[in-house]
Amino acid sequence: MKKIDLHIHTIPTVNDSSFSFKLAILQKYVAETALDAIAITNHNVFDRSQFTEIDDELDIVVFPGIEVTLDCGHILIISDTTKLDQFDKQALRIRERITQAHDTITINELTSIFYNLKEYVVIPHYDKKPAIRDDSLKHIAEYVSAGEVDSAKKFIRVIKDDIKVTPVLFSDIRIGDTLDKISTRQTFVDCGEVTLAALKKCLQDKRKVALSESNGNRLYQIFDDGQKLSTGLNILLGERSSGKTYTLDKINASQGHVKYIKQFSLVQQDESANERQFNRDLQRTKSQFVEEYLSRFKVVLNDVMDIDLCADGQEVDSYIDNLHEAAEDAERRDAFSNCALFDESEFSISEDTVLIDLIASIRQIIQNVEYQSIINKYVDRQSLKQLAVELIELLWARERDWKKKILVNELVRDIRQILKRRTSTVQVPDVNLYRVSLNKKKVEIFCEIVKCLQEHAVISEEPIQKFRVIATKDPFEGAGEIRSISGVKTAFSESFAKYTHPYEYLQALLANEYLTRSEIYKYFVKITYSILNPDGFEVSGGERSEFRLLQEIKDAQTYDILLVDEPESSFDNLFLRSDVNKIIKEISETMPVVVVTHNSTVGASVGADYLLYARKELEQGKVVYRLYSGYPTDLTLHSLDGKKISNYQITMNSLEAGCVAYDDRRNGYEAIRDKG
Amino acid sequence: MKLLEIRDNLGYYLDVHSVFVPIDKITKEDLLRLVDKTLNEDVEYDEYNGDAIKNQAHQILYKSVFDKLQGLKVRRKEFTDEFKRLYLQEYEWYKKK
Repeated sequence: MKKIDLHIHTIPTVNDSSFSFKLAILQKYVAETALDAIAITNHNVFDRSQFTEIDDELDIVVFPGIEVTLDCGHILIISDTTKLDQFDKQALRIRERITQAHDTITINELTSIFYNLKEYVVIPHYDKKPAIRDDSLKHIAEYVSAGEVDSAKKFIRVIKDDIKVTPVLFSDIRIGDTLDKISTRQTFVDCGEVTLAALKKCLQDKRKVALSESNGNRLYQIFDDGQKLSTGLNILLGERSSGKTYTLDKINASQGHVKYIKQFSLVQQDESANERQFNRDLQRTKSQFVEEYLSRFKVVLNDVMDIDLCADGQEVDSYIDNLHEAAEDAERRDAFSNCALFDESEFSISEDTVLIDLIASIRQIIQNVEYQSIINKYVDRQSLKQLAVELIELLWARERDWKKKILVNELVRDIRQILKRRTSTVQVPDVNLYRVSLNKKKVEIFCEIVKCLQEHAVISEEPIQKFRVIATKDPFEGAGEIRSISGVKTAFSESFAKYTHPYEYLQALLANEYLTRSEIYKYFVKITYSILNPDGFEVSGGERSEFRLLQEIKDAQTYDILLVDEPESSFDNLFLRSDVNKIIKEISETMPVVVVTHNSTVGASVGADYLLYARKELEQGKVVYRLYSGYPTDLTLHSLDGKKISNYQITMNSLEAGCVAYDDRRNGYEAIRDKG
Repeated sequence: MKLLEIRDNLGYYLDVHSVFVPIDKITKEDLLRLVDKTLNEDVEYDEYNGDAIKNQAHQILYKSVFDKLQGLKVRRKEFTDEFKRLYLQEYEWYKKK
C-alpha cells in the first residue's frame, strides 16, 4: 500500500490566510507521516519553480497540481510530471482568470482550458465544503477519479455506497513555518510504483483505497504518533488517572467535528434545575418541530394575508356603479368621450407561472441523473428535449406579447387620462376580474387547508429506545390557549369567536395591532409535543437524564466522531444494557465512537470493534502515560513503542475489579442460582 | 350557454333565473355570477356590435361587460390550471398528516 496526500498548499493566495512556506516543514510533514506521494495543489495557481525545488528536495513522488475555484465548488486537477510545460501554461490561464477571492470559473471554462481532462487526476470536493454541486458533477463525471471527503466517517459512508465515487481523505494542509499539529488525513492506495496512470487506475477501484495500511477501512490513524482507532466502536479502558479523559480530550482537539458527551454532563444534582433544563431543551425542540411542520402553511398564509375580499367586493361594486353612471351619461357624450379609447379597458397581464413551472418540471426530468435509467424506459429523451424547446419558444413568444401589452396598457392609461380631463362625461372604470376570482378561490382553498390542519392527528411519533416522542395536533379549545402560546398580553376572545371561519378569524387577528404578522401562523392549530415513558406517561426525574443521554447520542449522527466519557457514572446497568449499548452500537455502524468505561455492562457487553487501554507507568522514576490497543479478541494489546499487555488481565482489572473479585462474584451468583 | 345577447337593438344578460334581462339592470351579484360561469362552464356571448345596439347606454354597458367576460374566457384554461395547482402541495401535506 502507498500512502498519498494529494492536497497540499505551499503558496498563500487570496483564498488563504497568510502563511510563509518552508521547505523544511514540508520535509518534516512527509517524513513524519511516511508519505509515498504528494501533490502540490495551491488555489488557482501553479508556481513551477517552487514545484521543481520541492520535487528536487523530496525523495518521494511529487505531482504538480492546482485547486481550482469553480462556480459550483472546488476541484483538484493533478498532472503528470512529464507534462509540466503543458500544465504550466494551463495553470497560468486559471491564474489570469481568478485574481480576486470572489472570482470563479465555470465547468465549461475548465474543460476548455485543460482540453482533455482524461489526462489528469480530477478530484472534486465531494463530501467536503465547498462541495461540488450534483448537477455540475454529472457534466464532468467521466473525468472524475475520486471525490475528496474531510473525515473518516464520511470516507466510510462514501466507500460503502455503490453509486458514489471513490473517496479520498487528504490533509488540505498549509505548509507554513511551523507545524503545530500533524494532520492524520491521508489515504492508502494499493499500487506498485506511484505514477499518475497507476493512481488513476487504483482510484477507479474502491477495493484498492483504504484508510489504513494493513487494516483496510476497519482502522484509521487518529494521532500523529500513528495511534489508530476503529472506524466503528472503540472502548477505552484504564484505571483512575491513567489518561483516559486526557486521551478523549486529545481526540477532541485533533478532530474537526466532534460530539463529546462528558462525564456527568447530563446529570444535575439539583432535580428542579434538571427539570428546568429538560423543559428548556424540550421547548427548543418543539419550536423547531412546529416551525418545520407549519412552514408550508406559512407560505399559504403569507399569500392569503394580502387578500382583502372586502376590498375586492367594493372594487366590483364601484365598477358596476360607475358603469351605470357612464351609461346614463350616454346622451351627453362629446367628441372626447366618443373616442374608442375613452372607455377602453386594459389588457389583463399575468406571468405565465403554469408554463414556467411546466418547463422547470420537464427540465428536471431531462437533467435527473439518479433515476435516468427508469426515466429512459418510459420517455424518449429526444422527444422530451423537443417538448422543452417548443414550450420555451412558446414562453418567449408569450413574454414578447406580454411586454407589448404592458406598453399598450401604459399608452391606453395615458390617453384615457387626457380624454377624461377634456370632458365632463363619466368614464367607464376598469376592474381586474381575474384577480378577484382567483382571490376568492385562494381563500376557499385556504379555509380547506385550515380545516385539515385543525383535525386531531398524531403528526409525528418517533421512538427513541424505550421512550416515544409524540407530536399531536388539535384545534385550540379556547382563547386562553392561544394567548399562552402567543406570549402577548392581548385579548383573543373576540378573534376566537371566529375561529371556525378561518378567513374571518385571520382578518380578526390581522386587525389586532398587538400581534405581529409573522407570528400569526401559530394561532391556527395547537401542537402538543411530549416525551412518553414505556408506560405512556410523560417522563419524570431520572428518566429525563436517560432521555437526554439517548438524545445526545442520537444527535451525534451529524458529527464526524462521538466520544462518551463514563456513561455508567450517571445511569443504572439495566438502562445501559437495554438502551445505551444498543444505540451506541447502532451509531458506530456509521461513524467512529469512543466510549470510556469501567463498567462491564458497557465495556464487555457492547460488542466493541477495537480496544484501547490507557495506563500510567513508572519508568526510571518518571511517569509515562501509555496507550495499548488491539482487537477485543487479541490475547495481547500493543503500544506504539512495542510494549505488550495481557488483554485478559486488563479487561478483568478494568471491568471486573480483578480476577479474584470476578471469580468471587461469579461463584456468589452461581450459589444464588442453585438455591433458586 | 349564452350569457350576453343582442336583440331588438338592445343588449341583454342572462340573470339568475336563466332569463335574458336588459343590460342596464345588471348588478354586482349578476356580474360575479357571469364571471363564475365564464371561468367554469362553456359559455358564449353575442359579439359586441355598436350598430346592432342603438341605445347608447346599452352600448357602453354591453361593450364593457362583454370585453371583461371575453378577456376572462380567453384565460379560462390558465385560471383552471392556476387554481388547480394553488397550494396543492400544502393541501396534500396537511390532508395527509
